[in-house]
Amino acid sequence: MRILVVEDERKVAKALKEGLEAESYSVDIAHTGEEGFFLMNSQMFDLLVLDVMLPGRSGLEILSALRLRGPRIPVLLLTAKDAVEDRVKGLDAGADDYLVKPFAFPELLARVRALLRRGKSEPVTSLQVQDLHMDLVSRAVRRGAQTIDLTAREFEVLEYLLRHQGQVVSREMLARDVWKETTRHTPLDNVIDVHMARLRRKIDERFPVKLVHTVRGVGFVLKSERANEP
Amino acid sequence: MNLNPRSLRPRNVRARLTLWYVAILAGLLLIYGASTSAFLLFQLRSQLDRLAIEDLETVEGFLSFGPDGKVVLRSDYHDHPYPAEMQERLLEVRDAGGAVLFRNELLGNRELGGTPQADEGTATYSQRSIRLSDGTPVRLISKRHRLDGRPTLIRVGFSEEPLWQSFWQVVIGLIAGLPLALGLAGMGGYLLAKHALSPIERMARRAHEINAERLSARLEVENPHDELGLLAQAFNETLARLERSFEQLRRFTSDASHEIRTPLTAIRSVGEVGLRKQGSSDHYREVIGSMLEESGRLSRLVDSLLTIARADSGQVQLARMTIPVLPFVREAISLLDVLAEEKVQHLSLEGDADAKVEADPAILRQVVINLLDNAIKYSPAGGDISVRVVHVLNGHAADQIAIEVEDCGPGIPAEHRDRVFDRFYRVDEGRSREAGGAGLGLAIAKWGSNAHGGHLELDCPPQGGCIFRVLLPGRDTRA
Repeated sequence: MRILVVEDERKVAKALKEGLEAESYSVDIAHTGEEGFFLMNSQMFDLLVLDVMLPGRSGLEILSALRLRGPRIPVLLLTAKDAVEDRVKGLDAGADDYLVKPFAFPELLARVRALLRRGKSEPVTSLQVQDLHMDLVSRAVRRGAQTIDLTAREFEVLEYLLRHQGQVVSREMLARDVWKETTRHTPLDNVIDVHMARLRRKIDERFPVKLVHTVRGVGFVLKSERANEP
Repeated sequence: MNLNPRSLRPRNVRARLTLWYVAILAGLLLIYGASTSAFLLFQLRSQLDRLAIEDLETVEGFLSFGPDGKVVLRSDYHDHPYPAEMQERLLEVRDAGGAVLFRNELLGNRELGGTPQADEGTATYSQRSIRLSDGTPVRLISKRHRLDGRPTLIRVGFSEEPLWQSFWQVVIGLIAGLPLALGLAGMGGYLLAKHALSPIERMARRAHEINAERLSARLEVENPHDELGLLAQAFNETLARLERSFEQLRRFTSDASHEIRTPLTAIRSVGEVGLRKQGSSDHYREVIGSMLEESGRLSRLVDSLLTIARADSGQVQLARMTIPVLPFVREAISLLDVLAEEKVQHLSLEGDADAKVEADPAILRQVVINLLDNAIKYSPAGGDISVRVVHVLNGHAADQIAIEVEDCGPGIPAEHRDRVFDRFYRVDEGRSREAGGAGLGLAIAKWGSNAHGGHLELDCPPQGGCIFRVLLPGRDTRA
């Protein structure tokens, strides 16, 4: 999978390149709008990560020009403006998704994966990591032979972690996707932490192998063994 | 030459006032002078007319036809003493056909009024002003009279020269006095205007001295009830508001930079210290994690500041919809319930199930969540937090819906109550940021309440705890 990142801030561009390459994507970087536009027209990419504020041609201009030419490549916009009208402008110009700076890297990864997966999802009826099993139809969760009782919210959180297993899930992602919270400054972090603590108690406490891990400063990850942490 | 009429306008109010004053006075004096002169002329003429009529009646009796068919004036008439004007009499007698029968010596050969006019002197006396052939202005009185049984027309005339002379004297006197009067009035007006406007000049000078650094200065109010006093008071009130907002801005800037600097300092020092010693990857993971935590705090702070900045500049558009308050609050409670459970606190909700408001759900939700979060944070473990939705009846005024959040915390000391809604304000300065947040929650809640045309108030009952009450205009259910 080949990704083109158009971002003028060199530090951010470098971090994105390294982070995405660590996830086995092949990444090209363009630091100006013109450079990005040229690369896009001369080579094939599977995904475009586009900063809105660029020197020269703005991200939105490039996006409009790209959409006029036809090839339907998914575009993830990055911007420091989060006013609703900016968001609408970006989506109107043909962006597939929108991420406001500063963003959590796991969130960027999750969105990149979602965009690349788009249209290829197959219906899932059950999720599993090691001996933890979740049946999405009967909404039953068990670990080994033991049935685990979860509240509705805990079930949703666990489902989200299972769907992103092995990947770090930030509190912002949980707030937006599980709690459906749109504004970023609602004090939900404590709420999320409490739910995570309870979930942990239910699925990990009585078992020698822990599945839920905290990545300090970033979020949580659900995975079987501790050996290959990110 | 290009003369802009505006450039001719005097620059200061004093001169403009004086100019207007003088112009109006000149107009009035001219009207007064003209009407006085006209009245004088009329008076002098009617006086002359009366004398002439009297004289004509006298003269009638002394006229008779002589043997030669001419009219003669009996000479004994001159024996009677008469006023000086009478000596100036001009006399002419004509017959019905208009032929001249008599002219007195003073008149000589000059015409007095020419050919008789058709209606001249028929009914009673007729009077008119004429000019003799030498240009002398004359007042002429005519009367038809049967003299010895024959119809004649008697005309008596007096020169109007003395009359005009006194008239012009008066007019000249008036005109000559006009500039003097106007000059005096102008000077008086100027001095008066200067005196009246001098407090304004003083105010302007004083106002010039007041600037951003010295906003505490005020204009002096000499008489609070007159116009200038009112102006000075209004100006002072504006200054006070300005000073308050400057002070707020100053405090906000310093608080905001403090709040931003704290996590920045933490990020920097944790990073610097972490790099000083060679460590395991766990060590670095710990260091970077700690830095990320601080940067997360910084982003949340910036998000809150952006919300406030947007609210301040009035950029927030409310997407109002009808909200049933009780279920709405219940939903917010269910979100934060776990936090209360962790502290073994009991969160209860009661109230009016019919209460509805027109509000932006996202903003109202934030208001409620901030208040709940606050109550959970400041209530001790095991405490009770009660939330009430109350319909407040205001007599004939529009009803209000109150959302009350009562905690059982330590309460807020009276001296802090006014300021708890200020940005970054913390009752307990020593309280750590982890426990207290950035001090923006109540400020945002207050803004959210105001944005909906309501307000947020604080009650501190004597038995302790706090009641935060959001008052919102209720939706008119009758409509």
